[in-house]
Amino acid sequence: METNLILQNVLTPPVLFFFLGIVAVVVRSDLEIPAPLPKLFSLYLLLAIGFKGGLALEKSGFGGQVFPTLIAAILMSLLIPLVCFVILRLKLDVFNSAAIAAAYGSISAVTFITAESFLESQNIPFDGFMVAALALMESPAIIVGLLLVKLGAPKNRPNIQEMKWRSILHESMLNGSVYLLLGSLVIGFLTAAHNPVGVDKMQPFTGKLFYGAECFFLLDMGIVAAQRLPSLKKAGSFLIIFAVLIPLLNACLGIFVAKALLLGPGNSLLFAILCASASYLAVPAAMRMTVPEAKSSYYISTTLGLTFPFNIVIGIPLYMGLVNKLIPSIG
Amino acid sequence: MKRLDLIFGERELDAILTALEAAEVPGYTVLKHATGKGPQTVVSEDMEFTGLGANAHVIVFCELETIDKVRENIRSILSYYGGVAYVSEATEL
Repeated sequence: METNLILQNVLTPPVLFFFLGIVAVVVRSDLEIPAPLPKLFSLYLLLAIGFKGGLALEKSGFGGQVFPTLIAAILMSLLIPLVCFVILRLKLDVFNSAAIAAAYGSISAVTFITAESFLESQNIPFDGFMVAALALMESPAIIVGLLLVKLGAPKNRPNIQEMKWRSILHESMLNGSVYLLLGSLVIGFLTAAHNPVGVDKMQPFTGKLFYGAECFFLLDMGIVAAQRLPSLKKAGSFLIIFAVLIPLLNACLGIFVAKALLLGPGNSLLFAILCASASYLAVPAAMRMTVPEAKSSYYISTTLGLTFPFNIVIGIPLYMGLVNKLIPSIG
Repeated sequence: MKRLDLIFGERELDAILTALEAAEVPGYTVLKHATGKGPQTVVSEDMEFTGLGANAHVIVFCELETIDKVRENIRSILSYYGGVAYVSEATEL
């Protein structure tokens, strides 16, 4: 256990604000963040990370490890839901298994942002094209989840509405968070290539404000995660164990793939985090639309109440320790 | 005159409003961000950033014939996604 790395991670402002949110619920403080603000901050973070990723992508270009990494990212977001589904089917029905598997196959942008902040605090370099991997991993997992429902659900599904692939693809590929992330990535790329003045003008918004906005959003995440904890009792011990162990398994898979791709330590950690994290932005909305039989309390409580806190507090430094052991530092 | 109260997830609002338009209701009132407790779950606003949102409460005043058309159009949506609909008497002041 990389105790030193964990301690360094815990003592960063984003994680401390996350704890502040948890403590607010535990001590029953009346701290409350009005509903539209977390949505605004989540959109801001997606815009900023996409824009910054686009700038970095323009700098690094599309050569070298970019395409193999992006293809590997898509393959992982297809494979992970299948692995999760097989495990979840031991205890749960098809609908809940598929919805949770889709959530775990997809990614958490905020976990990714926290991992980037951790790397910056450790002075470990990473590349902007990893944001493209982040954007590409959201949709395939949703589609796999829905395919699993289509193949595994009983034929006489009550109240079933015809699954319209057009609307499913629209929901999975053009849902707000994916759309904004990809759009900002393209805008960042084009701005860096053709309008350097625009880059400077955006800097106060996407650069200087970013860290503070991340802290504020994590404060709210702490409140929400703590509020979700009671509903974990309903989820049962199987899901609680799953929510802690599956990120570890997926992170290990991710690190081995990153090693095979010859990624550096920074990119390897980000790849591992993409594999280990679970979505609570795009997947819940998509699953509610297409698999209403699945209990949202299951996939929200596990992803947001357990996996997210585990990853940002212990997971990131733990995976970094594994990366340091397995992947030699460059330079 | 009848009063129709519909309470359902905000994400289904467009589908419900389309169904009401198809039934040619004279008008409707939409109250978004409705929270509370149903038989299955507690609905709050704290998950709005996930895209799940809270509930919407739609109120319609119309004649009985229109209610019958609305019933046909919205039944499948409410039975699939969940939600409730109640009809009551309404007297204009």
